[in-house]
Amino acid sequence: MTPERWHQISRIFKSAILLDNEARAAYVDSQCGRDESLRVEVEKLIDSHGKANADSFMEGVAAEAAAPLLTSDEARPEILNKGQPFGSYIILDSLGSGGMGEVYLARDTRLDRTVALKVLSPDISQDERRMQRFRQEAKVASSLNQPNILTVFEFGEVDGLIFLATEFIDGETLRDHLHGKRLGPREIVDISIQVLAALDAAHEARIVHRDIKPENVMLRRRDGVVKVLDFGLAKVTENRYTTAEAVTEFRTAPGVIMGTINYMSPEQAQASEIDERTDIWSTGVIMYEMVTGKMPFRGSTTSHTIVQIIEKDPVPPAKLVKAPVELERIVMKAIAKKPSERYQTAKDMLADLRSFQKRVEMDAEFKQTSPLITQTQDDVGRQKKRVLVFAVIGMLLVTAAIFAVNMWRSAPKAGNPSVTTPAVSPVERTLTYWITVQKFKNEKPYQDPFTLAGEINFEAGYRIRVNVRSPQQGYLYILNEGPASGAPEYNIVFPTPTANKGSSLLPADQMIQIPEKTWLKFDTQQGVEKLWLVFSENALPELDSLKQFAGTQTRGLITDPSRNKAIKAFLDTHTSKPEVEKGETLTTVKAAGQLLVYAIKLEHH
Amino acid sequence: MARTPAQHEITQLLAQWREGNQSALDELYPLVYDELHRLARRYMSRERKGHTLQTTALINEAYVRLVDQKNVAWANRSHFFAISAQIMRRILIDHARRHQYAKRGGGAQQVSLDEAATVVMPDQSGELLRLDEALKSLAEMDPRRSQVVELRYFGGLNNEEIAGVLQISENTVTRDWNMARAWLYQQLTGSGAN
Repeated sequence: MTPERWHQISRIFKSAILLDNEARAAYVDSQCGRDESLRVEVEKLIDSHGKANADSFMEGVAAEAAAPLLTSDEARPEILNKGQPFGSYIILDSLGSGGMGEVYLARDTRLDRTVALKVLSPDISQDERRMQRFRQEAKVASSLNQPNILTVFEFGEVDGLIFLATEFIDGETLRDHLHGKRLGPREIVDISIQVLAALDAAHEARIVHRDIKPENVMLRRRDGVVKVLDFGLAKVTENRYTTAEAVTEFRTAPGVIMGTINYMSPEQAQASEIDERTDIWSTGVIMYEMVTGKMPFRGSTTSHTIVQIIEKDPVPPAKLVKAPVELERIVMKAIAKKPSERYQTAKDMLADLRSFQKRVEMDAEFKQTSPLITQTQDDVGRQKKRVLVFAVIGMLLVTAAIFAVNMWRSAPKAGNPSVTTPAVSPVERTLTYWITVQKFKNEKPYQDPFTLAGEINFEAGYRIRVNVRSPQQGYLYILNEGPASGAPEYNIVFPTPTANKGSSLLPADQMIQIPEKTWLKFDTQQGVEKLWLVFSENALPELDSLKQFAGTQTRGLITDPSRNKAIKAFLDTHTSKPEVEKGETLTTVKAAGQLLVYAIKLEHH
Repeated sequence: MARTPAQHEITQLLAQWREGNQSALDELYPLVYDELHRLARRYMSRERKGHTLQTTALINEAYVRLVDQKNVAWANRSHFFAISAQIMRRILIDHARRHQYAKRGGGAQQVSLDEAATVVMPDQSGELLRLDEALKSLAEMDPRRSQVVELRYFGGLNNEEIAGVLQISENTVTRDWNMARAWLYQQLTGSGAN
């Protein structure tokens, strides 16, 4: 586009956006005359303006994320130089830097050995949370004496700099080693056995690592010995904790996020109590990755990944690659969703791996690899249906008040919504939903989002997203009704001019996330927030027209009393009792007829 | 050790830049960068945890420290902010680029926990890079609107401050922002492929 053209467009645009729809069209017409391409450009831009508003596009300030980066390692010069003495150590080389500080190769002059020195950057030393993690790492690792756990020599302070001296491993992390490749059965078993041996020792001492992932598994170059690193998140199991706590550890600066979640167990992802079996899970996930070259749970976003971890049965490795049946069995057992269906101890898993290792070695000796490799087996039997558990306790009661609906043949006119027709055929509507919660602090996302399951503290600052899917195609409308003292006022949540390309039509089997990019925020007022889901076989023009009120400025609030009255009348009239099936996180609602109206109730306490 | 630049030096460089000397900007950039960096780190070590580092507050403090207040001219202040916005933009873009690079190199969906403290959400880094590219194209057609975006989005300036920097009215800032933002949205979502 030439600057001249650009300025021509901008001149029309800036006046046009101040006008209402009708006047705008006329104005654009008058300005563009017969220049059709100019009109198209202007209209596209006006359209983008509306969408940008609705999406809160660039509403935040990127600069706020830049300031913390200024304090980060990337902008940080090295603290210590080569050859510099540091207490009883001499700095030999810089090994790189992590979020906590610099890592150096150093010589311990007292014992004449080479060590890795992790020196905490001074500003981190001021951060109690991170210091706690550093101390924890030192304390836990030094209490464990096992060849597969990185040995900690010393934790101390020199010239106000806090440091940790550990054995130096010349090697690479499993992450680097994998590099998207698959490994052979012998190597997989060799690595897994060593990881589990480390975990077994930790578990014996009632320590759960909680952050087992390829980045924390180091392979020594010389002999392939495995070292498990980073007990910084480890916990002693006597103290029961929940993910709320674990996830806090992943929290970082605002606008800035988080550790690897792909290896997190369902119980970690779900705010349940966790124990040693969470490490079994993570080891299973690593093994899966070594076998197939792929992570079993990996969504396009963090919340998708979390939902996969909680809900999705992973593709059996044999479906992806040729893998020994026994190895697949071990992996799948380790990543059973329910902790009680996994290996209960690292020892049990070790035993299976060791006997498998013997077979692998024997087979290698006889060069008979065929018995180990078989085709995909039928694992239907193993994938037991998970028992659907439903528990709603605690501060947020998510009760579903259900109102079903009979057939609604034509869209009733506002003010006269009571026109209904009895059902003529045994049709039904089905809708499945789950709710993702994001905590907010100071208007910024805080911690990882999680899927609502069981109890949760519903506090001010929690925002939600509704995820909806149906095996049927249909028209979806979502309205929010806040706790009202007088006549209810509704907010249109879906459709909007931009979400789902502005359409209320939900294709069959397609998950839709509402809102797509932002989160629903409720007033802090106590009481019941209702989220009305309306799912219809036919389009409902009256509800479709509410789309015009959607937008971030007003959060979709419909202020016109007569319109609100009409909506209320509609919702009230079209209700009866549907069938509801509650899973751990998923809820499925079925109602006879062509229209389903259902209210999710969220209660502030 | 980086030397602390004398106030009058910065002030002079700002004046030279304002008069159109582009090489003055090249000299200013690292000086301002170092000061912002130093202040940010000092701030973080001084403050209790949970405090947020405010970019605009940081820039203001750097300005007070670096620029000779006796010979202060509003234009100096404006130009100082403009440089800071550029710096913030570059920091973010460099960071996003590194992140993208790391992503291409394979590895987990998110970075390891140790790096985590310094990393912008992965999903955002690609978008940020595309925004940067689009903003460069915008600068070719319309330098002023691109500057409005830079000052507001990367420098954290409000409309009044932007109006001061660019010597335009606040209304013009609002209009420029609307237009630029709609265009950038179009570029980023592909809804306006030419």
